[in-house]
Amino acid sequence: MIEIKDLKKVYNGVVVVNVPHLEIRKGESVGLVGNNGAGKTTLFRVMLDLIRAEKGEVLSNSEVVAGHENWKNYTASYLDEGFLIDYLTPEEYFYFIGGLHQQSRAHVDDFLAGLADFFNGEILEKGKYIRDLSKGNQCKVGVASCVLQNPQLLMLDEPFANIDPSTQFRLKSLLKDMNKSKGVTTLISSHDLNHITDVCDRILLMEKGVIIKDIATSSSTLSELEEYFGVGQITL
Amino acid sequence: MTGTFIRHELKAFWRSKNTGKSIAIRVVMALLILYLLINVLVLGFFLDTVLGKMFPKDDLVMSFCGIIFIYYLFDLFSRLQLQELPTLRVQPYLQLPVKRNSLVRYLSFTALLSVFNLWPFILFVPFILKVVRADSGGIVALAFIISITGLTIFNNYLALYIKRRANLNGWIFLVVATLIILLGLGDFYWHLYSIRSISYSFFGRLIGHPALALLPLLLGIVMYYVNFLYLKQNLYLEELSKRKTSYKSSTEYPLLNRFGSIGDLVGNEIKLIVRNKRSRSALIMGLFFMFYGLIFYSNPKYGSEGYKVFVGMFMTGIFIINYGQFMFAWQASHFDGLLVNKIPFADFLKAKYLLFTIISTGFFLLTTPYVYFGWRTVMIHFVMYLWNIGINTTMVLFFANRNYKRIDLSKGAAFNWEGVGGNQWILSLPLIITPFIIYAPFAIFGHADIGLALLAVTGLVFILTRGFWIKQLEADFHEKRYKIAEGFRDK
Repeated sequence: MIEIKDLKKVYNGVVVVNVPHLEIRKGESVGLVGNNGAGKTTLFRVMLDLIRAEKGEVLSNSEVVAGHENWKNYTASYLDEGFLIDYLTPEEYFYFIGGLHQQSRAHVDDFLAGLADFFNGEILEKGKYIRDLSKGNQCKVGVASCVLQNPQLLMLDEPFANIDPSTQFRLKSLLKDMNKSKGVTTLISSHDLNHITDVCDRILLMEKGVIIKDIATSSSTLSELEEYFGVGQITL
Repeated sequence: MTGTFIRHELKAFWRSKNTGKSIAIRVVMALLILYLLINVLVLGFFLDTVLGKMFPKDDLVMSFCGIIFIYYLFDLFSRLQLQELPTLRVQPYLQLPVKRNSLVRYLSFTALLSVFNLWPFILFVPFILKVVRADSGGIVALAFIISITGLTIFNNYLALYIKRRANLNGWIFLVVATLIILLGLGDFYWHLYSIRSISYSFFGRLIGHPALALLPLLLGIVMYYVNFLYLKQNLYLEELSKRKTSYKSSTEYPLLNRFGSIGDLVGNEIKLIVRNKRSRSALIMGLFFMFYGLIFYSNPKYGSEGYKVFVGMFMTGIFIINYGQFMFAWQASHFDGLLVNKIPFADFLKAKYLLFTIISTGFFLLTTPYVYFGWRTVMIHFVMYLWNIGINTTMVLFFANRNYKRIDLSKGAAFNWEGVGGNQWILSLPLIITPFIIYAPFAIFGHADIGLALLAVTGLVFILTRGFWIKQLEADFHEKRYKIAEGFRDK
């Protein structure tokens, strides 16, 4: 599905992303973890052709991403609120996104009805523009618009960060369902080690722009990660 | 504490991302103000001569006393429009152990640092020292200066108080402005009363009883406290930033549905314009430009047709110029979203063309009443309309590919320099000059019709070859997109 070759991104002389080789196969669910500044968001941005890499390339379905638009047909992503058109109501935004994928309004309405639990009555028919929603609710709008697009590849940057516990659990089952029953390739970054090891079959650990660990999730993964992030912790 | 606030504010100024630009603007503003100051200073020194010429029958001091209230009425009116509210972003201090009173006091005192508080002194003090002191002695002169100080302070805080209230409720501003205008009309137009004699009845007495000077000073102090208390009560975040919000309903524009996904993009952009403060004011300013023709056409001095070409271009194209010059920065806050979604850039550009065409057509229709000045006027407007949707749209979009400055949509357009850069200045030159390069040579040699025809044909050719220009712009965009997106991400 995705292949990264010899990728390097430099800001002010500091290498922020340096990935010599990475392959993500179709149907995999991949979690990206790492401390602040490890380069997770930058990697996402390069993969979505939002910033230009100094070196190397990203291939999606064996096609170069940079400068091409074909990948947009099957890729859905939500990195931050900058992805949302904030002066629209959530409904208008969903119709717009649906329209880009030739979905009728009725189809979008149907789809949204299925997400009633996920929205928890906070999103639809509230008479608010997206800019007036809280960060957590904006995140729900972003994630829902991704699911609406029926993607083959889904990329989310810290989706668990701002949402309430109930929504976190619903999001987890939503992601698992998309991956397991619909075969969607998912790539998710998070700081929540419990959630990420629960949802993903493969974990990539980033440090200073480099992927230093690439592990298939097993029962010991969580403790392995906790050990890495707990470096220097005082044991009582 | 006040010292810390001042230091923080200076840091905020120097470290803000567009400091370079705001310094340049401040220098220009400072020069303008200096020029005005010198003018007023000269006027102040020769006020006795001026008054003597204006009111030859009256005593000099009497006519001086008469104009003071008139001045302050005018002063209040201009303050309401131009004086800036002092801003210290209070949010980061509210939860810290900083006394509310010292925050409010700081806000209140810095409000005095406005050029508006200099004018009355420069204007009146020379006269007071030259004439009043010579006539009635130092004590009376001092009483005059104290009264002027009091009235200035009063006006300063009254204007701020009204502005603060108007921030929460826009009607207040309109009511107060109308009231001031009515007060002025009541004297000068309807002659119901005379502000001059009211003013004289106070300042005339001041000569006999200098102690009366304490009255305006008291007024000033009272107004300061009213303002102080109002600020203190309203220091709560919610009340400062939020107004009552109404239910926002979803809308669609059925007419645009015929254009498919391009129509959707145009629909979104129309919503952008209507639902955000700054873009809305760009549109409304455009509507005011519809009166531009009245100024020129009704004045025989501007009878030549060259003016009609100029005015016609502005009236039918003002939106393209006014709104287009900041493109694509209007969409800066969600530009990343536009890039990753399934929107071919060609469609994005076609939507811009469609939007410009729709709105320019609307503006052209609005100018049709100018048929009053002859059919030829409407014909010239139509030629310029073709020119606008043919060439100016393309030109504006070419410059849009070179605009990397983010703008915040929620702030008003007046005196808002955010997002303004060299791009806007460079853009305005070709926009204004190009039609004249084609038209002027013919007009000068008496073949204005050929010039107009050529303008129309050029416009049409560009409209018919849009597909080609869209391809050029698209290729250009793919080169610049990373830089644009990066600039827009930079808050």
